[in-house]
Amino acid sequence: MRPYFEKMPPLGRELKDKSRARTGASRTEIERIEAEIAAAKSARMNVGMPAETVNKRGALTVWQRLERLVDAGTWRSLHSLYNPQDNEEGTTNVVDGLAQIAGRWAVIIGFDNKVLAGAWLPGQAENILRVTDLAKRLNVPLVWLVNCSGVKLPDQEKFYADRRGGGTTFFRHAELQQLGIPILAGIFGTNPAGGGYQSISPTILIAHKDANIAVGGVGIVSGMSPKGGFDVAGLEELIAQTRGLAEQPPGGVSTHYDATGFFTQVADSEDGVLDGIRDYMRAIPAYDPKFFRVAEPAAPRLAADDLYHLLPANQKESYVFEDVLARLVDGSEHMEFRPDYGPEMYTGLVKIDGLLIGAIGNRQGLLPKGYPEYADYPGVGGKLYRQGLIKLSEFVTLCGRDRIPIVWFQDTTGIDVGDVAERAELLGLGQSLIYSIQATDVPMMLVVLRKGSAAAHYVLGGPTANRHNAFTLGTAATEIYVMHGETAAAASYARRAAKDHEAGKPLQPIADKMNEMAKKYFDTSRPAYCARHGFVDEVVELTGLRAYLEAFAGAVYQHPKSICPRHQMLLPRVIRG
Amino acid sequence: MAEEVRAPLAGTILDVLVDPGDTVEADEELIIIEAMKMQNLIYAPVAGTVGELRVKPGDKVEPDAVLLTIE
Repeated sequence: MRPYFEKMPPLGRELKDKSRARTGASRTEIERIEAEIAAAKSARMNVGMPAETVNKRGALTVWQRLERLVDAGTWRSLHSLYNPQDNEEGTTNVVDGLAQIAGRWAVIIGFDNKVLAGAWLPGQAENILRVTDLAKRLNVPLVWLVNCSGVKLPDQEKFYADRRGGGTTFFRHAELQQLGIPILAGIFGTNPAGGGYQSISPTILIAHKDANIAVGGVGIVSGMSPKGGFDVAGLEELIAQTRGLAEQPPGGVSTHYDATGFFTQVADSEDGVLDGIRDYMRAIPAYDPKFFRVAEPAAPRLAADDLYHLLPANQKESYVFEDVLARLVDGSEHMEFRPDYGPEMYTGLVKIDGLLIGAIGNRQGLLPKGYPEYADYPGVGGKLYRQGLIKLSEFVTLCGRDRIPIVWFQDTTGIDVGDVAERAELLGLGQSLIYSIQATDVPMMLVVLRKGSAAAHYVLGGPTANRHNAFTLGTAATEIYVMHGETAAAASYARRAAKDHEAGKPLQPIADKMNEMAKKYFDTSRPAYCARHGFVDEVVELTGLRAYLEAFAGAVYQHPKSICPRHQMLLPRVIRG
Repeated sequence: MAEEVRAPLAGTILDVLVDPGDTVEADEELIIIEAMKMQNLIYAPVAGTVGELRVKPGDKVEPDAVLLTIE
């Protein structure tokens, strides 16, 4: 298949000097938002105790452990700003991302031991769910840096119980292992109760010599028998019990290495624990990328920095999607699928690090005259019409057949509406696309370049509407909402405004409420809000997008569950005709 | 030989990015037209020199109206 993939047709146009000059203000705005996001991420890293304090106690921080564990330059953070319940600590208290360890991609997560000794906090279970789902979808190992004091007891009602609560990690760990996905745990510090199960549920347990894991810690063991209340005498008894247990907390190395043998390995130093994880990573099966590469890896021919001039901060301004994609893919090359059909959507094959990927994106701006063919009104980019939906289902189905992972790029205002559109079957075709995606079983990732809106945010590979979305990225220009705030305000208040008008009532109060609603939509759709509430898994600088695409491609092709020989692929032949 | 650049649909001229006599390359941005709530760029179909400019910002144009010519 070398003639298909080695040199594909060129994609994208050079950025002209005049365009660069015209879009300078847009660049400034995008960089301003990126700087705000970067500052928020930095603040998140520094929550809790200073690193020096942790180090003085003889331990490393979770960030220092990550720094020493992962291969240089491979860390792709996820959920940096995720804090859906607005915890006062400013974090869900886990840190996670994709990275290579000993040359192999893994999903890595660690408790932030600077904050309440790594306690469970509200929102953490949802954060961990995203991580276990990610390992499952990419079929790569999960690596834990466990250092967890258990539940933050004053807040337990917010996360202990429930179908998606704190304990669900443990059955999800079982589920991953039953699927053949190994979980490695480096265990540090004191890990009672929830921390204990967090430690025991992985596959391989590598403990620091001073670590312990237990069903219950000192606090629980000393206060196990409720007496109907507290008094001074009871407290003195409690203090005596606590002192005795604190000298030797349950579940240390002498118990779980010497006696039970739960710990696979014990290391005298934290570096020794991290070395142990690296050793076990080397023992996990992984293909050399050359096994699946269809061409030699190549950087994009067109500069990534151009993206700041090509993706307008102004949501009303159109752009050429192919010019954006060209800055992200190997050699700025592609093979487009059905270029003359469904012009509102781009679909095509590209290479990332020499690996074949299906790319899908919304085109923007004016569409060819006469499109959509079923209506007497002109089509506009960002919307979905009949042909586009049919083409997407075909493309996704062929990618699934050929085992080609998919990257979606969203900038959508929704699916065409109105009775004409209903007669054109758009409701059914939208759901058909979701069915097609579910039928593929290939990993997918999504970049919400700008707008993710209405049902189109679901059907275009959104995390809400399928099990194949591994993760979703946002940019400084991302905004996600069910519809634009002004549209929502009009939908909510139009009838009431008409009634009040007929009754002779003043309209200004309704206008004020509508403005308030539109403002709320704006505030709750910004990139930082989307990241905090998990609409996206990370907001990434435009020049950082390709690094995430490389991580996705590398992880997907590291140990795929199912493969299609390149010479048996159908999609490249369908494209060539 | 003059190439006419026409409005692809009805809208309002938001900005004119070239002047008569300017040399333009193919695919260079010429005009921004606001239509369907979007600001749409009109690109040069060919390289050449901008001839007659028939619109200015704020003008409303109908589909197929000639916006400018490229010599």
